[in-house]
Amino acid sequence: MPQPLNDSTSIYVPQPCTLLEVSDLTPQEKLFRLCLDSGGELGQQPGQFVQVSIPGLTEAPISVANSPTRRGYFELGVRKAGTLTGAMHQLQPGDTLGIRGPFGRPFQLAALVDKEVLLIAGGCGLAPLRSLIQYCQDRPGDFKSVHILYGARSPQDLLFKEDLENWQSSETFSCRYIVDKSPGSSCYDGETGLITRLIGALEIDSKNGCAVVVGPPPMYRPVIAELRRLGLTGKRQIMLSLERQMRCGIGKCGHCTIEHLYCCTDGPIFWLEEIEHLRGAL
Amino acid sequence: MLKRLVERDIYDLLGRIADSYRLRVPGLLDDGTRTLLPWDGQQISLFGEPPQRKPTAYFFPQTDPLLKIDPRGQATPAAVAEKPFALFGLDSIDLAALAFTDRFFSNPPPDDHYLRRRNGALLIGLTGYAGPSRGFLPLVKGNCDLELIACGEYWLARAGCKSADHWLAHYPPGDQEQLAVLQRESAQWNHRAAVDVQQAMELLRQDMVPDSFWEEIASRCILCSGCNLACPTCTCFCVQDRQTATGTVRSRVWDSCQLDAFMREASGHNPLGTEALRTRRRIYHKLVADPERWGEPGCVLCGRCDRACPTGIGMFAVAKEIASRFAISSPD
Repeated sequence: MPQPLNDSTSIYVPQPCTLLEVSDLTPQEKLFRLCLDSGGELGQQPGQFVQVSIPGLTEAPISVANSPTRRGYFELGVRKAGTLTGAMHQLQPGDTLGIRGPFGRPFQLAALVDKEVLLIAGGCGLAPLRSLIQYCQDRPGDFKSVHILYGARSPQDLLFKEDLENWQSSETFSCRYIVDKSPGSSCYDGETGLITRLIGALEIDSKNGCAVVVGPPPMYRPVIAELRRLGLTGKRQIMLSLERQMRCGIGKCGHCTIEHLYCCTDGPIFWLEEIEHLRGAL
Repeated sequence: MLKRLVERDIYDLLGRIADSYRLRVPGLLDDGTRTLLPWDGQQISLFGEPPQRKPTAYFFPQTDPLLKIDPRGQATPAAVAEKPFALFGLDSIDLAALAFTDRFFSNPPPDDHYLRRRNGALLIGLTGYAGPSRGFLPLVKGNCDLELIACGEYWLARAGCKSADHWLAHYPPGDQEQLAVLQRESAQWNHRAAVDVQQAMELLRQDMVPDSFWEEIASRCILCSGCNLACPTCTCFCVQDRQTATGTVRSRVWDSCQLDAFMREASGHNPLGTEALRTRRRIYHKLVADPERWGEPGCVLCGRCDRACPTGIGMFAVAKEIASRFAISSPD
């Protein structure tokens, strides 16, 4: 027999929040800065996500893009990909949204302490990874070193360009980024090629290294292979954030299952050894 | 507490229950099948085939309003009827399915919406010689509040929990020896499909079923999703918003892992991008992933998916094919 409920609230009811700022990241991606109407903090940890609700358009899972150490607001980096995200792109400061969360298993921060940390993002993966990068930036003494590697399809697809410049000039990080292709007409004079090229060029103490990888699904296998060539072959050395369709965020709707795991509650952050053997995980 | 009832006592008992609950009882439809119907004192179908409609639908309905959002954006949980359900006529298999979904929705964070309907509901088992042609249905091991056990001319009744004792208080004591006989018969009772399903489970766990098998099975699937919709432990849902004159109603609606969009992401990436992968998932999830996650298979052997499937690829049929084609015979 199920246990009795203590109150009349529901895990499915979103809480209202207000849009403070909207900024363009690329022609397809925007950054939304929001605050809860309750005045409280969202309370997220780096790597967690929220379910964004718009009446009439249901919900979509979006990763939180800023660190909890940056208080008073939370940020969402959103690519226009469907009806809900399309409607989000029409919103103006002062408009309201519904939010449920934060949900999911965050990045395992304790495992990164005193390590040589590799933060590797591809495409939109930089948005969730930014929450961890900011966290590292705000706690510089916690880590031996932090290397940021980022890959995008083209110069115009690079997200958080100001942040990238900021991180490159920061003493806390080493930061490199690369694009797959750069059209001749572009004024981009940075590196071109796949992100694996940046990994191969790293020199780190592999026994004390820990990598965090967030990117589109096709990126994982080649990046993991490159990290292993670098010597990250032990347990708890490679952490991944997996993308799945999540309708509820709380392990009920079944859309995000990976064999016996629920990506929304057991993940989205996994150690490689937890999911590598599971069919369809990577 | 074991009691002895005759058939008119059952109507008396249900009459008292109906005062406090939305009582559903087995009724016979024109086509000869049975289903649970609202009770207003009518004749009850006490013996026969199990109803095709899954009992979990009373607590997790096909379209299930979760909340209302007013034009100002204020969201409030959808109301749940004050009177809880009482379901009469559940066999041990359906009760096992309800126990499975109870545990699933109670797992943290608990699904308050399911639990609001489920809490306070009364589950009444119907076992003993109450099966098709008065065949035997094994007794229930817990999972219900009351159990009525058909013994031929009379009935044994027992409460599954202390709080249900009062329903049976004024009936005469039942025969403990008769109960012991039926319990022994229950212990020896075997489901006709259990061996195949157990064997399929083991072969899947050992990765002995090749991808070509799933391609073959999937080629027979017509994507009707009847298997998922009939299954009492299928709990997957999608979410839909419906605009009304007074705002938005957000509902969850049963979904099917056999459909292409089930896992397709906004980016276009689809971890279940072929019918073969989706068909494998449907079977594998019940027989391997659920035991790994919850300690028991998601298939309770009710046979509903086999009855629903127009092309013969329900759980029993697929398990039988797996067992017959991939089992390695033990050496003599």
